[in-house]
This record gives sequence, structure tokens and C-alpha cells, in this order.
Amino acid sequence: MFSNNKKGWLLLSPTIFILIIVGLVPFFYVLYVGFFKWNPLAVDPSMQFEGFGFNYRRLIFDGVFLESIWRSIKFSVVTLTLELSLGFLLALSLLSSFPLKKFFRGVHTLPLVIAPIVVGSIFKLFTVQGLGPLPHLLKDYFGYTLNYGMNAEQAFWMIVIMDIWHWTPFVTLTLLAGLSALPQDPYESAKIDGANNFQIFLYITIPMMVPVLIVVIFIRLMDSLKIVDEVWMLTGGGPGYATRFTGIHIWKEVFEKRYYGLGSAMSILYLYITIVICWILYSVMVSRGKSED
Amino acid sequence: MRKLLFAFVATLFSFSAMAGGHAEWWKNAGAPYAGTTLQGIAENTPPGQFAGDVLAKEFEALTGIKVRLENTSWDQMYDKAIKDMEANSGIYDFVYIEQDIVYDYLNRDFLVNITEGLASNPDLQAPGVSLDDFTTFIDYFKDGSGDVFGVPMEAFIKVYLYRKDLFGRADAKAQFRAQYGYGLTPATSFDQWRDNAEFFTHFCAEQGMECWGTTVQGHTGHPASTYEFLESIAPSFGLYNWGVNMDSYQSCVENGGQLNGGRAKAALNFWTQLLPFAPPEALQSTWSEVGSSFAAGRAAQGWVYGENAAWIATDAEKSAVVGKVGVMLPPTAPGVMTQAASGNGYIGYFDGGAYGIPHSSKNIEATMLWLQFVAMNDHQADWAIAGGRITHKDTYADPKVMAVDEQADGYFSLMRDTGFLYAGAPPFPFHGAGRGAIDPFIYSALAGEMTPEEALDGACQALDQVMADLGYQD
Repeated sequence: MFSNNKKGWLLLSPTIFILIIVGLVPFFYVLYVGFFKWNPLAVDPSMQFEGFGFNYRRLIFDGVFLESIWRSIKFSVVTLTLELSLGFLLALSLLSSFPLKKFFRGVHTLPLVIAPIVVGSIFKLFTVQGLGPLPHLLKDYFGYTLNYGMNAEQAFWMIVIMDIWHWTPFVTLTLLAGLSALPQDPYESAKIDGANNFQIFLYITIPMMVPVLIVVIFIRLMDSLKIVDEVWMLTGGGPGYATRFTGIHIWKEVFEKRYYGLGSAMSILYLYITIVICWILYSVMVSRGKSED
Repeated sequence: MRKLLFAFVATLFSFSAMAGGHAEWWKNAGAPYAGTTLQGIAENTPPGQFAGDVLAKEFEALTGIKVRLENTSWDQMYDKAIKDMEANSGIYDFVYIEQDIVYDYLNRDFLVNITEGLASNPDLQAPGVSLDDFTTFIDYFKDGSGDVFGVPMEAFIKVYLYRKDLFGRADAKAQFRAQYGYGLTPATSFDQWRDNAEFFTHFCAEQGMECWGTTVQGHTGHPASTYEFLESIAPSFGLYNWGVNMDSYQSCVENGGQLNGGRAKAALNFWTQLLPFAPPEALQSTWSEVGSSFAAGRAAQGWVYGENAAWIATDAEKSAVVGKVGVMLPPTAPGVMTQAASGNGYIGYFDGGAYGIPHSSKNIEATMLWLQFVAMNDHQADWAIAGGRITHKDTYADPKVMAVDEQADGYFSLMRDTGFLYAGAPPFPFHGAGRGAIDPFIYSALAGEMTPEEALDGACQALDQVMADLGYQD
């Protein structure tokens, strides 16, 4: 096969080379480091091999790490559900005509072009106690105290709101593209058959949108599982461990505490968990899609 | 900004005189490196801004060597500097070394030996520059043999700031005496601090003023709060070296440490009990925000880093409390002052930092020149005024500094006269890992998710685990 496609392989080679350098080499290096006990702040700062399972065994009993995974999964499920629901509604709305539609679509898309760290800054300026307008307004008009530096629940939900604000436009635009491309014949047939709007949505739109939904769900799921920047800027992972998602936890272990071996093992384990979650989700969605066909 | 511009212009004008007979030397010494750009990274503090905005330009004018100083956030500074030095990538020719991280850097052999470098290359030794001109703060940047690895660019103490205007109000004094049974004065004890804090929180609210009783540097997701506790509050209660037993590297009481002992718990209880009397932004405040809160007139008293004290007291463009700021030593628990005076303890943190040269620098010789320029006596006074820092012995006696000292309620004099009561961070090479283990417990105590007792019990266990992991307890 190779000999028949020499030209193709030649053209592909730069891409393959880059992929190896920026993808595979770092991956295998992290995998390799994960087998060592290594902290340059230690009395012995060298890499010490203490068995393939040394760091991984430790992680199984690391309550803080396991909690961070659970917290990340909870966050992903919540944001994904809300972003999909809201994004679908907005996409459906944008299919119809209304005044200032183009303006709304433009404004709605703005958060997408803002870097995550800036999104964190914007929310911090907007919501920080003493300086931000939101706590003042909530207190003055609703008697509600917003202080996510002290309240773990508020901190978690503030991150959720921030993520929704940032990423719902992506969901909307992708779903809008999918909806715009759907064939009209099934809709016309359904209307002739007397189906109402809800039935059309449930039995026509949703099934036809499954491929697009799968793409959106996977992109957003993987993104939300590795959230770091916005959280870093807004809460720093606090208060306590309240918003210490796995990405933040790994960063702190590796770059603050310098547990390079353990941190690498965390990264590999978390990657594995992410792949497993995505695979399960994919299997469920694809099998459901097939059974509906 | 105007002040900085003035300092720049004034220093430029005085520069030919300053360089004096040495201007030619600097020109000649810089000639081989003219056109080179030195890249540095430091924390964005008033002293750092002066170095980047004023000194760098003067140095370039004199030598032809350009200095690009990246003043950034504390977190970013460490992140970038350490990654650069670990990877040996040579992006930075000089890095900011905070006093508490120097043991880590020395342990990992990141830094060039400046003493040795200058001794082996006499052509690079600038006339009129002597490392002996520095205060004893330079000792923190020496190794065991006395060689210097960092040139101090800032040094300051953590002081107690209070609002003279508020404490001086007749109605406040009368109301306070009626309520608490004694006179209203700046705090000389922790009980008095708490009473003052409670009183002014209510007093300000009654008067319709946006102010609270005390600052609290209590960010619940940033190490600033851990540092505040370990380096300022705990020592003033008599807990030194993070409560770590320096012989056994244990921090829990049951193992011979003190981190969850009576003094530590009293300190954390005191601190967390101040929260209801602190501005609402307290739990999201690092050192910078505390300085800004005080400058905005939002607190009646508080622990404030000295690098902010001078501008809060004197810079009307940035501070709303110019002329209203009093400066004192913070209160201490019984016995602590005596221990500090005898060298067996300390009352708070002697903070500061230096510029050092990573081994990975590609321009070590040119950077040696830059660091010596930083160390020159001539611009120390302007730097002190702009940044509230003093690193040279003679700077205290400079007329310009003395004038500002008067406006700042004797902040510089206080540092000169009582600096010996303060100390830098303990010499832990595992500084970052240890602090990182303690962080979540301090955050949780501040957020009210744990009692101070629970937090310190957890913190000491986590710290002991780290020290065991890293091999310090063997």
C-alpha cells in the first residue's frame, strides 16, 4: 500500500512529523515520567523508579484527586446539559426571522472570540465583592449576598455560569449550521400527516441532528473536563477545594508542588478516564441512533 | 505615574553627575555588548516598575545594552522563570528571586554565583559599586560561603497601618470609650485590634462611609492568604518557621512541631474572627488588593506590605488617604518582642527580592553589568521613594528619603530601627511544595468550611506528608 501511495505519504509526511513531535513525543514522555517518583525539591531530586504502579496505586487512594475528578465530571454534566438546552433553543430561535436578528447573532457570538483567561478576568471584575457591580445589584435589589470567596456552592455555580456564557454560542452556531442543512422533505411530510411542532422536533429534528449533536457533545465534554484558565482567574480553585477541578489540581501538584512523576500519572489517568467517558457516551449515542433508524 | 515620570526625568538629569567619572567606564564596559537585549522577569510591584521604566532606560543610554523587564503577576513570574530555568531554555537573562524562594533556587543550582563571576572577570567590576553597601538583607541571597547569588532590588517590612483621621475623631473616641470602656488608639494588642475592627465597621456604617474595621488578606484561592498567615500573623503570635521543627522536619505537635499548636490556633482564630469586620473583597484579596483597599480608604487598620505603605501615604494620584496614614509595628503576643530582640524569634516578615542570573542566560556578562547598575548607590533614594523599598544602608539618610519618611509617618525610620525584629522566610528548599500542601486548609478556614483547629490539624498532616515524601524526615 505504501509503495502505491508514495506521493501521498510524501505530502502527508510534514503533518505526520509535526503530529509525532507535538503529540506523541510529549504523550510518551508524560507516560514515562509517570512511572517515576520525581520531585526536584526533594532531598534526592533525581527520578527514582519504584515500580510501574507506584504513582497509580497512590492515586487510587488520593481523596483530593478523586474528588477533583468527580467535581470535574459533575461540572461537565451540568454545563453540557445547560449549554445544549440553551444552545438548541437559541439555534431554533435564530432559524426564524425577527428584528435585529443579525445584530443579535453577532453579539451572541462575541464570547467565543475571547480568550478563556480574559473571560475569567471579565467575570472577576463583574462579580468580585466590593468592586464588581453584580454583588451590589443582587444585594440592593434581592437582598442576596454573592461572595464566592466564602461560599463553595456559589463558587461552583459561578464557574458554571461563566462557562455557559462563554461556550453556549459555540453550541448555538454549530447546531444552527446543522439545522440549516437539514432536508425539508421530512418536515413537509410530517406536517401533511398532522404532526404538531413538538412531535416534529422530537421525531424529526432530534434524530436528524444526532450526528451534529455527537460532535458538539464531544467537543464540549472534552473541553469542560479540562477547564483551567477561567477557574484559575476567577477563584484559583477555591474556596478550599470547591472549584479545584482536575486540571487545576494537576497544575498545582506539578507546578506549585513540583510532583512531576505523580502529576504525570494524574494526567495519564485523567486522559484515560476522559477517553472512557467519551467512548461510553459515543457507544450509547450511536447504538441509540442505530436502533431509532 | 506623574511621580514615576518625575523620578525618571530627575534621575536622567542627575545622571551625568551620578555616573560622574564612571560614565566613560560604563560606556566602555558596555561597548562589547551594545545592541544586546537583556530579558528579565519580575513581579509587578512599584519597585519593579521603577526598574523597568526608569533604570532600564538609563542603563541603555549609558551602555547601549537594552533591558526588557517583564513585570507580571506573582504567579506568572514564578511559572515562567522556573520553567525557563528548569528547561535551560535561556529566555531570561535575569529573574526576580523572592526571598522565600531563594533556598529552592540555590538548592537546584539555578543561579550564577555573582561574587565568583565578578572576581574572575575584573573588567566587569563597576567602579563605585560595592555589595557591602547593602543592608543585611543581602545575606538572604548568599550561600554558605558568603557568595552572592542575587542583587537585592527591594526590601521592606510588613507594618501595621491605621487611619489617623479615623482614630483621631472626637466622636469616635467618645463612642468607643462608652462602648468598650477604654480609649480608642491604634492596636497594641490583638484584643484591641479586634475591638477597633468591630467598632469601625459599625461606626463607618453609621456615618455612611464605605469603610470597614480592618484589612484581611484572605484570598481563598491564592497563596497570598497562606503567606499572610505563616509569615505575618503566626510569627506575631510566636509561631516561627511555619511551626516546623527544624531538626526533625515535623510540623504536627504530636511529632514535635507547632503548626497545630496553641499559638498557631490562637493566631488563626484571631485572623478568621476579623473577617466580619473586613471589606467584602477580603476573601478575594491578595497583597495588591489589600494595598488598594487601604488606599481607597476602605479599612481603618491592617497589616500592609511596606512596598505599598509609602505610596499609600504619599501618592495622592493613587491613594485617597494621603496625609491620613499612621504606621506602627503590629501587635505581638506576650514574649514575642523579647524573643525577636534576642534573635530567637521574629515579629513578622522581612520581605523583598533580588535579581539573579540563571545559568541558562545567554548574556551573563552583560547582565552582570546590569545588576551592578541596579546596585549603584546613586539612584537608591529615588527608587525608595517610588517603591517604598530600601536595600542600601546610606539610603535612609538621604534628604529626599527623609522628607518622604516624614510624610509616611516614619515608615522608613521604622524599617531602619526595627528591621532586625523581622525575618525572611525559613530556609526551606521545599518551600513551594510545603506551602501548596497548606493552602487548601487555610482557604477552608477562611471560608468557614473548617474550624481553625481542624484546618491546622489537617495542614500539619499534609505538610508532614510532603516533608516525608521529599525525604526531609529521614
